[in-house]
Amino acid sequence: MPSVSNYRQQIANMTNPGLGLGLRSKHFNYILEHNPPVNWFEAISENFMDSGGRPHYVLRQVAEKYPVVLHGVSLSIGSTDALNKEYLSKLKQLAAEVNPLWVSDHLCWTGVNSLNAHDLLPVVLNEVSLKHICDRIKEVQDYMERPMVFENPSTYLTFKQSTIAEYDFLRYMVEETGCGLLLDVNNVYVSGFNNDFDPVHYIRQLPYESIVQMHLAGHQHCGTHIIDTHDRQVAQDVWNLFALAWELTGGVATLLEWDGNIPDFETCHEELLKAKQYMNHNFQAAPITVQQEYEEEAVSNPVNFLVNEIRL
Amino acid sequence: MGTENFSLDELQQWMQGMLIYHVPVESNFGTNAGAPVEDIVNASQRLSAVSHLDIYRYSYIARLRSCMQSQFSALTYALGNELFQLFADQYLDTYPSESYSLNTLGQHFSSFLEETRPDKEAKESWPDFMIELAGFEYTLSVIFDEYAIDTNTAATIDTPDNMLVLHPVFHLLSHRFPICNYYLEFSQGKEPELPFPEESYCAVIRLNYKLGLFSIRAAQYFFLKRMQETHSFEKAKTMLINEKGIPQTEFDRVWPEWKMNFIASGFFIEQPGT
Repeated sequence: MPSVSNYRQQIANMTNPGLGLGLRSKHFNYILEHNPPVNWFEAISENFMDSGGRPHYVLRQVAEKYPVVLHGVSLSIGSTDALNKEYLSKLKQLAAEVNPLWVSDHLCWTGVNSLNAHDLLPVVLNEVSLKHICDRIKEVQDYMERPMVFENPSTYLTFKQSTIAEYDFLRYMVEETGCGLLLDVNNVYVSGFNNDFDPVHYIRQLPYESIVQMHLAGHQHCGTHIIDTHDRQVAQDVWNLFALAWELTGGVATLLEWDGNIPDFETCHEELLKAKQYMNHNFQAAPITVQQEYEEEAVSNPVNFLVNEIRL
Repeated sequence: MGTENFSLDELQQWMQGMLIYHVPVESNFGTNAGAPVEDIVNASQRLSAVSHLDIYRYSYIARLRSCMQSQFSALTYALGNELFQLFADQYLDTYPSESYSLNTLGQHFSSFLEETRPDKEAKESWPDFMIELAGFEYTLSVIFDEYAIDTNTAATIDTPDNMLVLHPVFHLLSHRFPICNYYLEFSQGKEPELPFPEESYCAVIRLNYKLGLFSIRAAQYFFLKRMQETHSFEKAKTMLINEKGIPQTEFDRVWPEWKMNFIASGFFIEQPGT
């Protein structure tokens, strides 16, 4: 069984495949027909692991032509429920089929008592939960026989019981388990606004050497808070943070997520390619801009949480 | 209860209760779960602790309601948004999701509608239609993702009858209402009216990972069902003749037309290995 140092070495050896897009059913036909010049795709594991039909067929086709990453939303690494062995078994099977560059999920929990809220719920950040989560990460990694990669979620609350900053929590996770990190730059911005922390400071504290991937996405500003909607272009403040993160990490795999009001493939691709403008951009600390137009009634859409779109 | 001593498990139980079971939240008052939100969640510069929690509470029900509407789009039309939402919300309260997959979210919706039908005293027919439609839409989503490779040699009109095999993703459904026609009309952007009860039969096939829906007649349903059970054209034909009292000559007369339509619709593949 690989050791923590072995996992750490595997994370260190992960190469940067370039700029990627989230694989969404709306774009299946376009991708299969046009083979667009995207460096890689990220597939939501749960949208494919139980599929014996079209989604599964499309993923296999895509994986034959492009590097693929599996990104999960249901591992529930922070839950006090036992790990779901059936889920892990299917995830491992899917990974064996598509040979992903890496397998990722979120620092979150999705439910207890065998229920699932289908949300990325915030974990309490203290020593008890850190040990609990690290033990589970080790168990998952040993079962999967590969290091896992964990993403910082967008959060809408913090707990009184939390005693560790999220960036330190992530660092301790990395040190204890050898796992990798997926830095969602938009999530840092969203969580920072919602929970009164400085996103620039947050990003500067992360263990850059363990970051293998970044996420970019759009959000919705509601005035008093920001919702991670993934339904629009990336905000300028987030691009600025991306420039900083790119500088600090030395450049890692970067992916755009677009999960609501999904435009055509070309529009998503254009948005992704904007990232090039912010690489080697020399981050200049600028005050976070205050958005003037606010919207209400936003629903968080942390990932592509959708039921199958039946095709007749 | 002192929340500073909440265990990790107690904290998650508390938060999940707030989301799934709609425990009422009133600022500075103990909740049904025994702890004021302010003792557990931090307030921020712009939002109170309750407002922070409410973001999750609102998103939980809104997201799952939206998934239910996607999975039951025809039923949403049939019931109207408002009534559908009422049923969906009650359903999600009664049957919170136990799966990591949202595709199974509506698994029990049809039986839930049966359990909670509003006409228990004097039965009306419209709830029966809604219950059937819900079951039909969920069945379609299951068939759409069924494990099978959709690359088989399609039968042709020249394939001998005894070499005809039903497509691997082929399902026969019977209903007390014209469910398939209603669904097809809705899918085509029409605005079908609530139908009267009328026994109906339908075949669902998945070809090249797309679903095909076909209204069929009672005798065709019987014949195809027997083919499904016996894997034999001859046995199905004999059963149709013997059990439905259809003369051999009548079968011989209609079969060429049935065969042509069934093959055009992709119902048959050639027996593998032929």
